[in-house]
Amino acid sequence: MIPELGNFALFIAFAFSLLLSIFPLIGLRTNNLKLMQLAPNLTVGLFSFTLFSFACLVYSFLTDDFTVLNVAENSNSLLPIQYKFAASFGSHEGSFLLWLVMQSGWAFAVVLKSKSLPPEMRTRVLMVIGWICVGFYAYIITASNPFDRTLPYFPVDGRDLNPLLQDVGMIIHPPLLYMGYVGLSISFAFAIAALLSGKLDSTWAKWSRPWTAAAWAFLTLGITIGSWWAYSELGWGGWWFWDPVENASFMPWLVATALLHSLAVSEKRNAFKSWTVFLAIAGFSLSLLGTFLVRSGVIVSVHAFATDPSRGVFILILLALVIGGSLTLYALRSGAIKSVGKFSTFSRETMLWANNVLLVAATIIVLLGTLLPLVHKEIGLGSISIGAPFFNQMFTYLTVPFALLLGIAPFVRWKQDKLNKFLTMPAVVGVISILLSVVWLKLEFGEVKFYAALGATLGLWVTLFTALEYRKTASKLGVSKVPLSHYAMALGHIGIAFVIAGAGLTSQYTQEKDVKLWPGDSAELMGYTYQFNAIKDVNGSNYNGWAADISVYKGNYLEAELLAEKRYYPVQRNTMTEAAIDDGFTRDLYVSLGELLPDDSWAIRIYVKPYVRWLWLGGILVALGGFLTLFDRRYRGVKLAKQAGANV
Amino acid sequence: MSANKSSKRLAFLPLAIFAVLCVFLLKGLFSNPNERESALINKPVPEFSLPDLYNESQIHNKQTLIGKPVILNVWGTWCTTCKYELPYLTKLRNEYGVKIVGVYYDQNHAPAFGEFADVKEIRVDVRNMLGQLGNPYEYNILDLDRTLSLNLGISGAPESFVVDASGVIRFHHMGDINERIWRDKIAPIWNEVSQ
Repeated sequence: MIPELGNFALFIAFAFSLLLSIFPLIGLRTNNLKLMQLAPNLTVGLFSFTLFSFACLVYSFLTDDFTVLNVAENSNSLLPIQYKFAASFGSHEGSFLLWLVMQSGWAFAVVLKSKSLPPEMRTRVLMVIGWICVGFYAYIITASNPFDRTLPYFPVDGRDLNPLLQDVGMIIHPPLLYMGYVGLSISFAFAIAALLSGKLDSTWAKWSRPWTAAAWAFLTLGITIGSWWAYSELGWGGWWFWDPVENASFMPWLVATALLHSLAVSEKRNAFKSWTVFLAIAGFSLSLLGTFLVRSGVIVSVHAFATDPSRGVFILILLALVIGGSLTLYALRSGAIKSVGKFSTFSRETMLWANNVLLVAATIIVLLGTLLPLVHKEIGLGSISIGAPFFNQMFTYLTVPFALLLGIAPFVRWKQDKLNKFLTMPAVVGVISILLSVVWLKLEFGEVKFYAALGATLGLWVTLFTALEYRKTASKLGVSKVPLSHYAMALGHIGIAFVIAGAGLTSQYTQEKDVKLWPGDSAELMGYTYQFNAIKDVNGSNYNGWAADISVYKGNYLEAELLAEKRYYPVQRNTMTEAAIDDGFTRDLYVSLGELLPDDSWAIRIYVKPYVRWLWLGGILVALGGFLTLFDRRYRGVKLAKQAGANV
Repeated sequence: MSANKSSKRLAFLPLAIFAVLCVFLLKGLFSNPNERESALINKPVPEFSLPDLYNESQIHNKQTLIGKPVILNVWGTWCTTCKYELPYLTKLRNEYGVKIVGVYYDQNHAPAFGEFADVKEIRVDVRNMLGQLGNPYEYNILDLDRTLSLNLGISGAPESFVVDASGVIRFHHMGDINERIWRDKIAPIWNEVSQ
């Protein structure tokens, strides 16, 4: 009964999306304000019924309703309750429903927060969201219905959730990532609405900015948590694998970062306008493309999802309509966009232009690296794979100019600045950064490795400049007057500094060792003694296995007690390695348990990973920066309404 | 004027690139990147040499298996869904004379874990279960070390393969065989290979 209600609610939501895509359009054509004002109400209906539908699915999972195919295939009566919840979006069908909850939820947020927009603009934005929704709801109802039944032959128990997904990361990572992906549809809708109306002044950039920042912050957080999850759960000890699925989330992030900066130029200086519209389209397009790549099985990945070409064809048609349609509109209308803001070759504008060029170059590299193997195979040249070394090398090249400019750019004035002002300070900051990082690495690790020193120097460079810039702004405006958005920028930039330094240090100084130990033995690595005390049995509700009890000493000081597990999940017949990690600000101690060897000893892999936490700390700081901008005074209600009203 | 024209043309560039991309994505959709299914379908059954579940001295191999169309069914007493399909498989054997050979997959056997299967216990369990639910099998192959299962690309139990008289795999089904699955998916192929 409940699943049928959910299914029915989904159909009603689909009807709402159809109405949302049609009535406002008629309203706009006939200039009928009443019809236009239907848009917000339809959006509320769309969101309510989608949310209800999702609640029905969650209910089916929590109550172990194995007559629902989706539940039977992805859950099990013994699965812990929090993972039953997570399993509701662990499958293809469920994750799409989650996507729709968020899509309609963002639309709902637009309804709440856009009362001050001119009614035509508001209607257009919601209408564009309605168009996107029609496609997605049609897809879920026809090709990917999460409420399909197994009746009359339903199984007594479910096939369980993939053990890899039974982790706290699974509960938070997909929703955050989806919030980011789907959130970019709002920037997209604003851009398309602006193109449709032909009014591409700086106001749409102002309206679009907080939405872009919010979506981007969610995306940042989602990617960061995904990286942390891969590190802690997969047991491989890495933090970024350049896997196609990771790349699929990274591309929209890169473009959204570019968009965020380009929007600033469009809003403040009335320049880059056509380019900004293009980035807004590209950001959401890459989200969709990423989803297609992940879910269609076109590209092989460690993130194995079920493949079904008929679904893939449906998504591809959707993709072609949304992306193809918007790019066609862009091609036809962007010629009319005039950027009036003039600027000289050395100015804040050119700095942000360089930021965009580097970020787009990075996107193209990731896109090529991800898709080239597919193209290569399809034109009959055989299978190739483009792996981490290619991406690592390319990104090292791109990071250097990116970080150098990132440090200076906030100092450079809009419109025009003098280059010779920027000779002494960068030289001083540069020398200080190099000296500090060399001393730091020499003292901590005893040897200075080039790429680690490079990462540390760039990180220090960005941090020092950000601090200097803050001092300058604070002394000009007074500390209490520094706007929140300024702190947001500083936080974002320092976050990037942490990521760059962390990546450099951890990739250069990480040490790992495969050892063979009997209980009672110990092994040494980078001054740490790993003492293997005993092997224990472990039993969870849906798994059993072994755990190695290991104490880590530095000298005589007990640094950590670790329990590295190897779990066996009977229902899925899967063996999982649960690495044990002692986290610290400057180093992680990591142990992963291998096989029992014939002579009763155990294969154990131990790592020391310096500064690996900085990667995620950095990511979280960047995301916090994004969220902080939302609380800036400019984006809070009243003032915006007046400005918007004045501009119309 | 000409600058304006070229920038207009430039605006179409993303669309053109996307169109080309779509063509490749469409092609990519229909070529399975894993080639897993196609690697199995229309390929001969892998060579094997494994003991009978009840009698270790009796060795089965590819030659003793083929000659007549057969359904190779990977299963185990530990597998809930397998229990569920046993009565229907038995019905297939009794009423339609379908030759079904079991590949017994023991999940507890994990030497890396220090766990070894007790074959005697398995035999008792199997006899009990088949006694209760019906015995569809002409015989059972004991694949303790999962060599055959691995070569067949098994990802779980139950899984079934339709093998024609010449030893070529014609169909692969993951999950239980029930009336609906048999009617919609397997029967057409079975009728074809039985002729």
